[in-house]
Amino acid sequence: MMTNLFSIFDPASPNSLSANWCSSLLFVLLMPGAQWVASTRYSGLFKQLSDYLFSEFRPIVKKASFVLLISVSLLLLIMFNNVAGLLPYIFTATAHLSFSLCFGLAAWSGLMLYGWSFNTQALLVHLIPQGTPAALMPFMVVIESISNIIRPGTLAVRLSANMIAGHLLLSLLSSSFSFSPLMAVPILAIAELALISLECAVAFIQSYVFSVLLTLYMAEFSD
Amino acid sequence: MLSRLAARSSSVAVRLAHTSSSASQAAASATPATTNEERNEVDFPRTKRPIHPAPVRMGFIPETWFELLYSKTGVTGPYVLGTGLITYLVSKEIYVIEHEFYSGVIMAMMAAYGIKKFGPTVAATLDDQLAKEKEEMLSGRNNTIKALTEGIAASELSAEQAKGQSLLFQAKRDNIGLQLEAAYRQRLQSVYAEVKKRLDYQLEKSNVEKRFEQRHMVDWIVQNVRQSITPAQEAASLKQCITDLKALAARA
Repeated sequence: MMTNLFSIFDPASPNSLSANWCSSLLFVLLMPGAQWVASTRYSGLFKQLSDYLFSEFRPIVKKASFVLLISVSLLLLIMFNNVAGLLPYIFTATAHLSFSLCFGLAAWSGLMLYGWSFNTQALLVHLIPQGTPAALMPFMVVIESISNIIRPGTLAVRLSANMIAGHLLLSLLSSSFSFSPLMAVPILAIAELALISLECAVAFIQSYVFSVLLTLYMAEFSD
Repeated sequence: MLSRLAARSSSVAVRLAHTSSSASQAAASATPATTNEERNEVDFPRTKRPIHPAPVRMGFIPETWFELLYSKTGVTGPYVLGTGLITYLVSKEIYVIEHEFYSGVIMAMMAAYGIKKFGPTVAATLDDQLAKEKEEMLSGRNNTIKALTEGIAASELSAEQAKGQSLLFQAKRDNIGLQLEAAYRQRLQSVYAEVKKRLDYQLEKSNVEKRFEQRHMVDWIVQNVRQSITPAQEAASLKQCITDLKALAARA
């Protein structure tokens, strides 16, 4: 029951135990099993998807392609969480800043520590984009440093804000079904259909954006 | 893995000892042919890989549930159970109709439409891919079989061709025979010519000898006759000739 509008984002299942976070482990059930050597339709689909993702990410990192493992698996995790959260009665873990900040902050701080320790010259050079006039250089350094520092925040907040906005709209529109007259139901249904399609697209795109940005940072830090 | 190997070897040793001690008992209680030493395949058959998923009704309810209830409640049993359960949950507000339900209904409709529309094409594409993968996996075995079959056919063909070699040899033998025959005939011909040449020579020689002898004889006779003719005889013959001639001239 909706005690307030944001109770859909409450991780507490009964009021004291935060069991809703277990929904982030749902992707384990969605991974294809491998009981037989011959692959099944689902594992074939999954393999096609992961091959496609690897081919998409490969041009971004040219040197250290082992980092693609992190990118693609992170993408799949966030995508599964986003899409599963759209389904009814499943908790959206990625809508919480605590969840997305775990990925963003951990990855970013690791990259920063590694980069500034071993690639200091390259990172200092990256602070000034190519083609800036000499007079603007001090300001560019400040601006680039600030944008670098807020990167984990932007990554996390982008993901969770998109999820929260989408789910909020969805729950608002769906709860209006109870109060609206019967004649308005088809219009509301069409609107809901459009919104759910949009939310599906947003779910895929946000996961892609998160992992692509992280991959870009990894490529930048390892160059 | 090594522990399993050790266990297996020990169990084999135990079984060997057991069978050697109770050979007659084993003969009396014979097990069926399908059981082997390691696994009873009659009571615990090996699982087969299912090609198609289990049949479902209405998209997600397994057919086995309907079969389970069929003997007790007939065909409509599971439907009545489902309807009754849903009615109970909704009317008692155990399941509350709220915003999640409505979005769930709309999502179910979207999913049904999507599956009905794109399901068969996606399934066909995936099946093609799987068939290709299976073909790739079995390619080693199939290629070996194909190569061996072709090898067998090639060996049979070469055996057939080898049989034809005897015909070739026969033809060569005949050819040689013909050549020999021709050479023999040619030699025969030359022998004949040589022999004829020699016989002709002998013939000519005898002819020439005869001619010489005849001429010689004629010459000798004539010479002797000429020598034997005396002048008186010559004059007498001449006179006779003249009288004959006169007589003839008088007659004419």
